[in-house]
Amino acid sequence: MSSNRWVPIGAGVGLRLPHIAEVAATRPSVPWLEIHPENFLANPHATELLLEVRRDYPISVHTVGVSVGSVGGIDHVHLQRVRTLVDMVDPVFVSGHLAWSTHDGEYLNDLLPLPYDEETLRLVAAHIDEVQDSLGRPYLLENPSSYLGFDTSTMSELDFLREVVRRTGCRLLCDVSNVYLSAHNMGYDPYWYIDGLPIGAVGELHLGGFTPEEDEAEPGAQILIDTHAGRIAEPVWELYARAVRRFGAKPTLIEWDNDIPSFAVLLAEARRADEIAGRALAPESRCAVAS
Amino acid sequence: MPSLAEMQSRIRRAVIDGDTAGMVALLIGGCDPERRLAIHQRHYRSSLVAAIRTKFPATAWLLGIPCLREAAGQFVRQHPPAAPCIAEYGEEFPRFLSTYSCAARVPYLYSFAELEWHLGQVAIAVDRPTLALEVFSRFEANTLMHTCLTLQSGLRYLHASWPVDDLMKLYLTGTAPAEYRLAPADVWLEVRGARGEFRIDRLDAANFVFRKAVLDGQSIGVAAERALDANIGFDVGRAFTTLVRSGHVIGTTSRDRGGQA
Repeated sequence: MSSNRWVPIGAGVGLRLPHIAEVAATRPSVPWLEIHPENFLANPHATELLLEVRRDYPISVHTVGVSVGSVGGIDHVHLQRVRTLVDMVDPVFVSGHLAWSTHDGEYLNDLLPLPYDEETLRLVAAHIDEVQDSLGRPYLLENPSSYLGFDTSTMSELDFLREVVRRTGCRLLCDVSNVYLSAHNMGYDPYWYIDGLPIGAVGELHLGGFTPEEDEAEPGAQILIDTHAGRIAEPVWELYARAVRRFGAKPTLIEWDNDIPSFAVLLAEARRADEIAGRALAPESRCAVAS
Repeated sequence: MPSLAEMQSRIRRAVIDGDTAGMVALLIGGCDPERRLAIHQRHYRSSLVAAIRTKFPATAWLLGIPCLREAAGQFVRQHPPAAPCIAEYGEEFPRFLSTYSCAARVPYLYSFAELEWHLGQVAIAVDRPTLALEVFSRFEANTLMHTCLTLQSGLRYLHASWPVDDLMKLYLTGTAPAEYRLAPADVWLEVRGARGEFRIDRLDAANFVFRKAVLDGQSIGVAAERALDANIGFDVGRAFTTLVRSGHVIGTTSRDRGGQA
């Protein structure tokens, strides 16, 4: 079920179309790269460059359009296209989001929230089974960035994720920025969330920038928007250190999807992630946590 | 309590149509969940309008950004994407735009926007190795007439009743004069591109018909008949030779035998 490509250690970066020609030409020093397949499926030239790049870098495929939470089911045409790309790239990971984005033949271009109850659990688990069977490899499911929840939910997001892992054997992609952002927006402790994720299931970490906006409903308060349009915030770096101490050294990805800077800026963020992970895993740091 | 299906239908209506009826009571988040639902509404609209603007910069130059943005906003509401590859989204926008109120003063807008869409599409294509003319020397004449050609994927054939290619070249070269008069005139355009580059060439009507028919999967014989309907003096042999030598042909299939070269 798994790729034969080696799992990278250290922080990689999201490879977006503005950088692919540069990366193909200069082969910068970065341990791995992650792509959104939706950027490549309709772009033969970009796919050609990707297939060059993959010779020198482990690639992770992070889908934004495989909607495991849609009542209408998985878009089989899209899943088949993703599978074709996955077969060509042979990625180290294939991942996606705990969310929904398609409805009755329409794609809503967003990661929309789900209520956490038994009905949703059965649906999401069935769809993840379908995706894993189709791709022939485990799927990593990412915790969402949340602005909203549902009054009808009967379980916490953590309980939901744990149960999805138990039922499907999928793994988790812990987006540390999403944890911080969701905890801020929904009013819980992000450290409690990190400590509640099943250690053995977490296979990858994400870090991305968010944008604070004034919360129109609460003057003086801020809501954090998951824009991937800036540097990683200091409190997220602190939470990342906790995540590394809890989950161990995991492949970590820097995501930057809007107002995309030079590749050098992304590499600098990746190096900072490596430094923080190194410090978090140093013996004295681990003792400090234990005490 | 609504089912998950009903809940997703309501969220879809809220995100695309702005109709939050029956939704807010189900949501939690901050003091006013409806305002938070608006985050998803804004994202849907702004991300897709930005995608349209990215694909039609020349059209925005021609029409003005406010008009294009307004039209794109209506378009994304009335024509949501059908699939997750946003690179494929927007093909219907030129037709939609041509019916939009602020576009009425630009009669060639559809043709111009359509040309721009195809420039974007061919620029991300990949060229394949071409067939040399010598490959066809072993074909008997009758066999050749029943042969279909596979052309490069970065080829498009567009007919317009206005010289929109001239206008596009003004945009691309940044050489638009302060005033420019465009007069109606039929143009038959071949748009070719690959790996980030593209070019626009004019063809005569018969050559256009021939090449377009070949691209559409017709045999050389049928394509030639159509071209002769357009111009009785059409030279099939010359047109075929020019097509092959231009590097457009990458394969053949025989209608009768289904074989491939």
